[in-house]
Amino acid sequence: MIPEDVRVIFRLIKTNPVSLAGLVIVVGFVIVGIIAPYIVPYPEDAWGETYNIEKRYLPPSLEHPFGTDDMGRDVFSRVILGARFSLIIAIGVVGLALLIGIPIGLIAGYVGGKLGTALMRITDMFLAFPPLLLAIALAATLGRGLVNTIIALAISWWPWYARLVYVQVNSIRVLPYVDAARIVGLHPLAIMFKHVLPNALTPVTVQAALDMGSAILEAAGLSFLGVGVKPPTPEWGLLVTEGWSSINVAWWISLFPGLAILITVLGFNLLADAVREAGDPRLRRILLVGRKI
Amino acid sequence: MPISKEYIIKRLLLLVVVVFGVLVITFVITRVIPAHPELLWAGAHPTKEQIEKARKELRLDQPIHVQLYYYLLDFLSGNWGVSWRTRQPVLKDIQAALPATLELVVLAFIIAIVLGVPLGAIAALKRNTWVDHIIRIVSVIGASVPVFWLALILQLVLSNWLGILPGAKRVDEYIVYETGFKEITGFILLDSLIQGNIPVFVNALQHIMLPAIVLAFYPFGLSARMTRAVMTEALNELYTRSALAWGLPRRLVIYKYALKNALAPVIASLGLSFGYTIIGAFMVELIFVWPGIGLYAAMALLSYDYPAIIGCVIVVAIIYTVINMIVDIIHAIIDPRVRL
Repeated sequence: MIPEDVRVIFRLIKTNPVSLAGLVIVVGFVIVGIIAPYIVPYPEDAWGETYNIEKRYLPPSLEHPFGTDDMGRDVFSRVILGARFSLIIAIGVVGLALLIGIPIGLIAGYVGGKLGTALMRITDMFLAFPPLLLAIALAATLGRGLVNTIIALAISWWPWYARLVYVQVNSIRVLPYVDAARIVGLHPLAIMFKHVLPNALTPVTVQAALDMGSAILEAAGLSFLGVGVKPPTPEWGLLVTEGWSSINVAWWISLFPGLAILITVLGFNLLADAVREAGDPRLRRILLVGRKI
Repeated sequence: MPISKEYIIKRLLLLVVVVFGVLVITFVITRVIPAHPELLWAGAHPTKEQIEKARKELRLDQPIHVQLYYYLLDFLSGNWGVSWRTRQPVLKDIQAALPATLELVVLAFIIAIVLGVPLGAIAALKRNTWVDHIIRIVSVIGASVPVFWLALILQLVLSNWLGILPGAKRVDEYIVYETGFKEITGFILLDSLIQGNIPVFVNALQHIMLPAIVLAFYPFGLSARMTRAVMTEALNELYTRSALAWGLPRRLVIYKYALKNALAPVIASLGLSFGYTIIGAFMVELIFVWPGIGLYAAMALLSYDYPAIIGCVIVVAIIYTVINMIVDIIHAIIDPRVRL
């Protein structure tokens, strides 16, 4: 994607209030994720190290905006710190998936031949699993924990990026400037990394950034099924799960972390929508001209 | 033009290859990645004998390709191991649980299409008005909401607080006993209709509504968005504009010419969202104590019942692949361009 496209995306986002809301949510989430440990009102509660029996199941109040949980911990603090863990998971999953997917897509697309076909066949095998299912199997094998969750999700994730890079590289490989580089006598590796890869990278990184919402959602699903992060990590999915057993006495324990997931993932998806519409030239024309039947 | 035999044969061959791939990947996950596969297969708190027995069953003393050979052979002969939790063969457990899940997922998709397509069409007709924005937000929420949280909250509000709908199980047992209801196919809604057992049908319908609504959110959002996108495009095509210029009624142009385009992408979206929905069923069934494969898988995960986990993973992956193949074939029948 060239800067012109990025400009169009921002123009579209600015004109559409729904897309703008998405952008605001995502930026807000990233900021909260970075500064969370320094702004939580009850840091010990947030990290899950405390147990205050006299403060159990307090409903939302000024002192505890989201109430307290079964251990007397401030739910608001745990949700705020949860943003950091969601950010770590999102960046970890998408980053690791890119690290696996880009080289495989690049080699399959640029080298081609039997090796390329074999690599893409393997990629397709991974895509035969419905989302999250492969991650569930892997997480059940690796055991609970933050790092294992990231690994399990990334291994079920990279095939999408491998495919995307493969398609990009295939279309770039035949462009005249690549031929020119070859004729000049550049080393194939230099062509691959210096001339083909940079041009194939923009769509896949944009896609990866927008996929971070799905990574958060899937990590929460793993936590709920008991194969995600370990307690007392304040991961949002785990916070919802922890409140499940006492939902009839204290609905706030599950409600607020779930809302945090919903709003964050919603932000990413609204943004993804805007980018997708901007990337579709026919739709973009309609949007920019604003022609209606 | 009828679809060619070669196309279907090609798709079936591809299916065999993909199922083989699924089995190889699960083999790698279960036998190659863990340092001690026998510990995973021997249950939550294994004794020495159980570990030794698991070692023998998995043939861990043999080379890896021999293990793979027997792994595939065991799968084909239906020998999927014994669940530690239920002490039953995994395949038998899964067969017993499947109808409940299929019933739930099918109803979820019916709800999704019946609501999603018309709402998506309205959004396309009223682009960039508040109707469009609201429909857009609702459909994006369907793709953004953690399905287990939605299930918990709807169960709490609609069932526990307001008491509008039952929040657990497929049917009330006392009605089953009182009316002498018998299971035939395992699909309670179908069975009760066949027997003309209206009380059980109504009761089962009430029970299925909440979990089905929760599962319908995602496919609803996807089909609404797909319909909206296709309709927007179609309304700007030359043929719809010339149809209007010819003086055809607007209503006729919209429903007869523009909405027809939505058919193929909506079917494609069902294939896409099926995987998401069946995984959502894992969580939704756990919350609503719905005795399907999702509840079985979720209980297996929570109790480290490894043979059952892997059995469910393989079955769900295969169902997903088969559904996608069927969707592809239907897509090819509707849209001849796909066949190229």
